[in-house]
Amino acid sequence: MTGKTSFRLIAITPAIALLAACGGEAGDSATQPAGDPPAEIEQRHDNFEEIGDSFKAIRAQLESGDPDMAVIQASATDIHERAGRLDGYFPEGSGRDAGWDTEALATIWEQPEEFEAAKAKLLEESEMMMTVAADGDAAAIGEQAKALGGACKNCHDTFRLDDD
Amino acid sequence: MTTEAAAAAPAAQTSTRSIRIWDWPVRLVHWSIVALIAGMYLTAENSEWGWHMRLGHVLLALLIFRVIWGFVGTETARFGSFVKGPGAVLGYLRGAYDYRRNKGHSPLAALSVLALLGLMFAQVGMGLFAGDPYDGATGPLNPLVGVMTADTITETHEWFYWVIFAFIALHITAVGVIGAMQATNLIGPMIGGTGEKAVEVEANQPTPWGRALGALAVSAGIAFWVYLGAPPLT
Ligand code: HEC
Ligand code: HEM
Repeated sequence: MTGKTSFRLIAITPAIALLAACGGEAGDSATQPAGDPPAEIEQRHDNFEEIGDSFKAIRAQLESGDPDMAVIQASATDIHERAGRLDGYFPEGSGRDAGWDTEALATIWEQPEEFEAAKAKLLEESEMMMTVAADGDAAAIGEQAKALGGACKNCHDTFRLDDD
Repeated sequence: MTTEAAAAAPAAQTSTRSIRIWDWPVRLVHWSIVALIAGMYLTAENSEWGWHMRLGHVLLALLIFRVIWGFVGTETARFGSFVKGPGAVLGYLRGAYDYRRNKGHSPLAALSVLALLGLMFAQVGMGLFAGDPYDGATGPLNPLVGVMTADTITETHEWFYWVIFAFIALHITAVGVIGAMQATNLIGPMIGGTGEKAVEVEANQPTPWGRALGALAVSAGIAFWVYLGAPPLT
């Protein structure tokens, strides 16, 4: 190889590597179907994120050793209200199977009764959390946090993309 | 370039020969890291958390290996041989560094090595504590921190890869631009291990495989122990 050719190759290789890296990223979204994703995907995402934050707030208070009951009560109420909104967030065709960037599995529409039951369980356990939070007994809230967490897991195990 | 060709060249040119520069572990770790960074990004984008964590532990093992190798590896792999003070970096920037008469990382490249390794360590480290038990996957050390600490770590972990990508872009650009400016092939040696250097430059040692295997066993052992949740810590 002459000095000049290798010189050009040296200069060009990293440029190609960079372009390939950027191209790979742009090409990524090409796996999604044409058109805009259903608006419900983002709505439920935001709703679940808020549920997640409220549940974290409850557990953070429990961890603190000196739980602020007002925070726990407000968070429990928030979870319960948001659990009630889940009904409108899962229109048919808004799952991962349809190609969208979501962790919602096809089982949601294949096993509608089980999915309804999983939602009902969340409503029930979050309502129970509101009740024990109103009582203000930290030990009872700790126990109910496990039951509420069980309601999350119960649904995620079947209806949300596997995490392992 | 053969010696005769060099001798025929103008007097300003140095006669060179091909010598060992980078040992096998440095090169294997480098290109494995390139593949793993791509893999970590893709598994995260596609919510393949099981694979994200398995690959993450392989990356952890490689990073630990590279640090150990920085103390027990060949000359050009050792931090002690290439990490220089600010004076040397300034000297490099003023053009006092001759690629033909030096092998291994330049004083400036040494900073890039430290930055890239450090940033990748930070990102892998955050991953170990990230997640929430009620929201999908969790790193093996997640139970060691409180729920809000884990939340902050997770959020940082989610944007921090941009910092790493920025440094990778800088790194690749630097390799290209400096290689071109100095008319020296930097990439070839990182692949094949050898490169053209002035005749008076001594070759790097051959790979001490026994030491490499020992370092690999230690780093893989630590990464696996972390994968298991660092018992008895969790
Ligand atoms: C009735 C089923 C169901 C219940 C109950 C449930 N989830 Fe989820 N959750 C899902 C589904 C499905 C997704 C995936 C949504 C998507 O990606 O479109 C999800 C996603 C999430 C996300 C990620 C948000 C996102 O889109 O990235 C969080 C956080 C979350 N859930 C927290 C919780 C917590 C905390 C609880 C319990 C308090 C809970 N969930 C209870 C079904 C449920
Ligand atoms: C994921 C992307 C990358 C990462 C994280 C990365 C990281 C690193 C690290 C940590 C080193 C130090 C090596 C050591 O001493 O062990 C290094 C050196 C090097 N890398 Fe990369 N690298 C990446 C991509 C690339 C690419 C695509 C190229 C080629 C185009 C490249 C070319 C080089 C070269 C030539 C060196 C030696 C620099 C010198 O002369 O000191 N790297 N890289």
